[in-house]
Amino acid sequence: MPNESLTREIFGNVDDLSKVVFYALAAASIGCFAWGVYRRARLWRRGRKTDRPISWRTVSARLLNLVALQSKVRQGRRWAGGAHCLLFGGFVVLFIGTILIAIEHYGATLVGREPTDPLFHKGLYYAVFEVVLETAGLAMLAGCVWFIGRRLRGDTSVGYRALDSLVLATLVLLGITGYLAEGLRIIHQQTPQPGFSYVGLGAARLFELIGVTRDGAAMIHLALWWTHTVLALGFIAAFPYTRLLHSIAGVVSLATRAEGLGTLSPISIEEVEETGLVGAANIEDFTRWQLVELDACVSCGRCQDVCPAHEAGKPLSPRDVVQDLRSHLNAEGRTASPTDAKETLGESITAETVWSCTTCHACVDTCPLGVDPLRFITDLRRNLVAEGGLRGAPATSLQKVQRSGNPWGLPKDERLNWAAGLDVPCVSDHPDFDVLYWVGCAAAYDRRIQKVARAMVKLLQAADVNFAVLGPEERCTGESARRMGDEFLFQELAATNLDTFTRYSVKKIVTHCPHCLNSLKQDYPQFGGQFEVVHHTQFLAELVSEGKLEISQADNSSSGKLTYHDPCYLARVNDVVEPPRELIQLTLSGTENGHFVELPRRERNTACCGAGGGRMWFDDAADTRVGVGRVQEILETEAQSVIVACPFCLTMVSDGVAATGGGVEAKDIAELLAEGLDTNA
Amino acid sequence: MTPMKILVPTKRVPDTDQKIRVREDGSGIDEQHLPFVVNPFDAIAVEEALRIRENSADNVEVVAVGIGSDDYESELRTSLAMGADRAILVECAEVLDPWNVARILDEVVKRETPDLVLMGKQAVDDDANQAGQFLAALLDWPQATFASQVDFDERRLRVERETDAGIEVVLVDLPAVITTDLRLNEPRYASLPSILKARKKPIERIDFEQLGIAIEPRIEVLSMESTSTGRTCVRVNSVDELLDRLRCEAKAI
Amino acid sequence: MRILVVAEHDRTTIRSGTRSAIGFANSVAQQSGGTVECLVLGHEIDHVAQDAASISQVLSADCAALADPVADRHAHVIAKVATERNVDLVVAASTSYAKDIVGRAAGLLGGSMASEVVGHEIRDGRLVMRRPMFAGAVTATVRLTGHPQIVTIRATAYQPPPPADEKQPITAIGIDESALPNHICFERVESKPSHRPDVTEAGIVVSGGRALKNSDDFERLVGGLADALGGATGSSRALVDAGITSNDLQVGQTGKIVAPDLYIALGISGAVQHLAGMKNSKVIVAINHDPDAPMFEMADYGLVGDVYELVPQLIEKLHAE
Repeated sequence: MPNESLTREIFGNVDDLSKVVFYALAAASIGCFAWGVYRRARLWRRGRKTDRPISWRTVSARLLNLVALQSKVRQGRRWAGGAHCLLFGGFVVLFIGTILIAIEHYGATLVGREPTDPLFHKGLYYAVFEVVLETAGLAMLAGCVWFIGRRLRGDTSVGYRALDSLVLATLVLLGITGYLAEGLRIIHQQTPQPGFSYVGLGAARLFELIGVTRDGAAMIHLALWWTHTVLALGFIAAFPYTRLLHSIAGVVSLATRAEGLGTLSPISIEEVEETGLVGAANIEDFTRWQLVELDACVSCGRCQDVCPAHEAGKPLSPRDVVQDLRSHLNAEGRTASPTDAKETLGESITAETVWSCTTCHACVDTCPLGVDPLRFITDLRRNLVAEGGLRGAPATSLQKVQRSGNPWGLPKDERLNWAAGLDVPCVSDHPDFDVLYWVGCAAAYDRRIQKVARAMVKLLQAADVNFAVLGPEERCTGESARRMGDEFLFQELAATNLDTFTRYSVKKIVTHCPHCLNSLKQDYPQFGGQFEVVHHTQFLAELVSEGKLEISQADNSSSGKLTYHDPCYLARVNDVVEPPRELIQLTLSGTENGHFVELPRRERNTACCGAGGGRMWFDDAADTRVGVGRVQEILETEAQSVIVACPFCLTMVSDGVAATGGGVEAKDIAELLAEGLDTNA
Repeated sequence: MTPMKILVPTKRVPDTDQKIRVREDGSGIDEQHLPFVVNPFDAIAVEEALRIRENSADNVEVVAVGIGSDDYESELRTSLAMGADRAILVECAEVLDPWNVARILDEVVKRETPDLVLMGKQAVDDDANQAGQFLAALLDWPQATFASQVDFDERRLRVERETDAGIEVVLVDLPAVITTDLRLNEPRYASLPSILKARKKPIERIDFEQLGIAIEPRIEVLSMESTSTGRTCVRVNSVDELLDRLRCEAKAI
Repeated sequence: MRILVVAEHDRTTIRSGTRSAIGFANSVAQQSGGTVECLVLGHEIDHVAQDAASISQVLSADCAALADPVADRHAHVIAKVATERNVDLVVAASTSYAKDIVGRAAGLLGGSMASEVVGHEIRDGRLVMRRPMFAGAVTATVRLTGHPQIVTIRATAYQPPPPADEKQPITAIGIDESALPNHICFERVESKPSHRPDVTEAGIVVSGGRALKNSDDFERLVGGLADALGGATGSSRALVDAGITSNDLQVGQTGKIVAPDLYIALGISGAVQHLAGMKNSKVIVAINHDPDAPMFEMADYGLVGDVYELVPQLIEKLHAE
C-alpha cells in the first residue's frame, strides 16, 4: 500500500523565471492553437448553410462507438487500427493526466498548499496515476513506432507527407524526452517509491549507469524539461495546421454525419431559380458540414482500397477527390477576393473521375472519420449534368428515360409483355391487391431479366400472395438518374410514380431490384412517399417462415456448387444480408451435389459489380469495366452457379463471365427458388 | 476578328424509338401519344456549333432555327438549353417538303447573314437528305455533306466526309453549308436546370409570309403503308442443316 | 420524256448502281415514251463512256476540273446539261455521291426530288413512286410536281439492262472551266482497297455484330465467310463505334441500306436501327448465341450458337465443295 504522503513535486526544479516564461509560451501556444482552429472554422463557414438536425443521443452513441472505442478504425485494417488505438489511447490518457496535474497544481496553489502537500495527487491515486501514465506513454510510443515502420515500408495507399512525418517524430521525441526527464527528476528529487514510474525509473538507472550525479541530473533535467516543454507547446501551437486537425474535424464529422447510407439531399426548382446553381461548381457550393469533412480526412486511403472503380483502374480515388477539394479550400483561404483567378473544381477533378463512381457506398461505409466522398462526387455530377457535361451513351439513356420511362427508349405500352401467358394481375383490373410487385425497367424489357420476373410471379402465385403489378403505368424509379446527377429527371419520375401509388393506395411494395428498393425506400419518402418496401429475398424468406411458400430441395445437379454475390445496394446500403442466404440454404439442404461457398468479400464488405451510379449505361469495354475484379473472384471459387439478387449484378456478372470465357452460370434467387417449385409440382 | 455567326436549322420529328403506326386510311402516321424530339442529326449540328464556339477565341453566336407551329417551341428550347444563344421560329402551319424548307431557310440566311449553316444530313421522319443541298444550291454556297469531322483552317473549313468510297477530305470556303453525319460528335444532354435557364433566351417568331415566300409544294404524298415483314424464323440445329436449307429450299447459295 | 441518268464510275467502268438507275430510266421511258441519256462526268473517261455506251446513249463531260467529285462543280454541270437539253427527269442511284451532288443539282433545278425510290408506276400519265420513311417502317407513295423531276433510286430495287454488243452514241459536252465554281477544294479520299464487292451492290452480304471482339476476328470470321460465298462484308453500328470496322461497312438506318439475295447476320442482336438497313433482303439468316435475340424474329433461318465456333465450321464446309 503506497504511503499516503507518496507524491512528487510538480514543477520541481523549475525556477520562477522559467515558470513565467513557461506560462508566457503556453499562452502563446494556446493562442496559436485557437487562432489556427478559428481560421479553419472560417473556411468551413464559407460553405452553404444547411440544417443537419442532430439528436444528442445519436451523437453520444457515435462518439462512444466511433471515437472512444475506435470501432471503424479497427475494422478493415487490423494492425493499423490497433496501432492507432495505442497511439490515440495513450495520447488521450496522457492528456487527461496532464489536465489532472494542472488541476492539482493550480488548485493547491489557490488554497495555499505547499508543493510538497498536494490536494489529491498522492498516495494510492498517485501510484495508480503513475502506472497508468507510464503505460499510456509506452502505448503511444508503440503506436508511433508501428506507424513509423509502416511509413518506412511505404504502404502505397496511405498519402504520406513530410509534415506528417515531422508530427510523428515530434510525438516520439515528446515521449522519449518525457521519460528521460522523469528519470532525471527521479534522480535529483530522489522520488520515493519510483517503481510506479517504471519507465522513468529505467531511464534513471541508465543515467546513473553513465555516471550522472544528482546535481548533474538537475541541470540536464532542466534542459530536457525545456526541450520537452518547447516540443509540447510547439506541438499544441502547430496542431491545427497539421493533419492532427482531424481529431477535431473528425469528431464533428462523425457526430453530425447523416444517418444511414443510400440517400441524397434533394434540390428544389425554386432553389435553382434563385441561385442559378445546381450541385457544386466551386468549393463554397458544398455545405459547411462537407467542408469540415475535408479536414477530417487523414488521407489514410482506406476508401481507395475498397473503391471498385479504383480497383478496375479507373481514374478515381475517393481519397484523392477529398484531398483535391481540400486543396481548393486552402486556395480559397489564400485568395483575397472571390474574383481572383483560381483553378476551378473541374480542372483538378476531371469529368472522367467523377463519372467513374458506381455509388456503391464502400468508401462512405469504411471511412473511420465520417467523410462522405460519395456526396462530394454526386454534387459534382449534378453540376456537370446541369452544365451539359454529360454526353454519349449515358446521356442517351437519360433522354430515353425521360421520353419513354425506361433507359432503352422502348415503347411504354410494351412494359407488360414479359408477363405474357402468366396471368399476372394488373392494378387497374385488380385494385384490391395487398402487395405491389414493382417489376422495374430491366425485368420489363431485358429478355434475360424477364425470366427473373416470371420466376418471381410463379413464387408469388405458389404462395397465394394477393399481389398486382403496375404494368404500363410503371415508370423508371429514377434511381440511376438521381445518382448520375439528374436530380430533376428523378423528381419528375418520382412525382409520377408517387401519384400512381396514391391513386392505387399502395401500402406495401416488393421488388427484386435493390436499386429500386433503395430509391423507393429512402428517396421517395423525401417527396411524401409513405409505404413499406421490401426486397424479394426478405419477402420470400418471410413467406417461407410463415409456411406459405414451400421450397423443395430441387435437384441441384445443374446448379452444382453455389456462391452468392451480395449486391451493394442490398447488403451494404440497406443491411439485408441474411434472408438471401437463408433462402439459398433451403434449396441446398439434403442434396449431395450442391454446396455453398462464400465469396471473400461479402455481406457489408461486398465488392461492387460495377453497374451502379449510372455506370450501367456507359459503354465500357469488357476488360476495363468496373467490377472486373469481382468477376475474377467469382471464377476463383470454382462454383458452377453464382446466385445474385439484383438485375444489374445479374447482367454485369453474366457479361463479365462471358467475356472471360468462364463457365459460371448467374441466376437470380427467384430463379433458383422457382426451379424448386417446378420439380415440386 | 469579326464575330462569327452559325445558323443551325433544326427539325422536330417523332421519336423513332416508339412504334410508328400508319393511320387506317393511309393518309399519314398516327401522331397521338407520339413523343416528338429534335432530329438527332440536328442535335449533332447544334453540338458542333457549340464546340466551335467553345474552341474559338472569338465571339461566336449560335442561332437555332425551326420552321413549324407553336409545338416547335419545346424543341427550340432544347437547342437553347444545350447552349444556343437564341432561336428563330418561322411560323408555318403547312407540312413542308425539303424544297420549301430550303427556300424559307434561304430567306432566313439572307436576313441573318451567318458565316456557316450547320444542319443534320437527313431528318429521321422523311429520310430525304435533300434540304441542306437545296439550301446550298439556292445560296450558291459551297457545301460539305455527311461531315464526320470539322476543323477550322483560317477562313476555310477542313471537313472529313463519310462517303461510300471512304473518308473524303475537302476544304470549303466560308460561308458554307455543312450537313452532319452521326459520328461527328455526341450531343450534350440538356437537363432541366439548363432548360430553365434557356427560358430566358429569346425565341423570335416570324410568320413565313413575312419572308416573302409562297409555298410551292414539290412532293405530294399520296398514301402511306406500314412495311411489315411477316417472316417466320425456322430454327436450324446445325451448320449442315443450315447449308442444306439455304441450298435446296431457299436457293440462296 | 427526256431522261438523264447521272453516272457514277471508278474511272474505268460505270458502277453497278448506275446500271440499275439506267434500268429504272429505261422502264420509265418505255412506259411513258421517251429517251434515256447517261451523263458521265470526270477526266479521261473514255473507257467509262465506252462502258456506258453498251447500255445507253452517253453524254461525256470530260475536263480536268471535273476529275474529282467536287459538289459545286459537278452539280453545276449536271444542272446545266439538264437545262440545256430540256431534260424532264434526272435519275441516279442513291449513293453518297448522288445524295451530295445530284441533290445540289436538284436544288439548282427547282427542288422536285424524290430520294431512295424502291418502286414506281405510271398512273394517269404521271410518275408515281414508292419510297421508305421513318427508317423503313413506313413506305410512302409519292408524286412530284415541278419540272424537271429528280429521282434517286435504290440500286437493289432495279435490274440493270443487259449490255449490248453494239455501242450507242457518245456525245461530248463542252465545259467552260472558267465558269465552274471553285469554293470547294478536294484534298483526298482515304479509301480501303478491297477485293470484295461493295456492300450495297453485292448479292450476298455477311454482316458482323457485337459478338466479334476485334478486327482480326472480324476479318477471319465475317470476311472469311463472305469470301467463301463471294459476298460483301457489313457491320452493325456497335463495331463501327468500337473502332473494329470502318464506317463504310455499317448497315443500318444511318448507314447503308442493303437488300441482297442473302443476308447473314453473325452475332448481331437486331436493334431496330440495324433492321432498317437490311429488312428488305430476300433471305435472312441469323446466327447468335442468344436464343432470344430480336434478330431471329427478322430472319428466315436461325441458328443458335457461338459464332466463334459455328462460322469456322461453315467456312470449312463451304470450302470443301
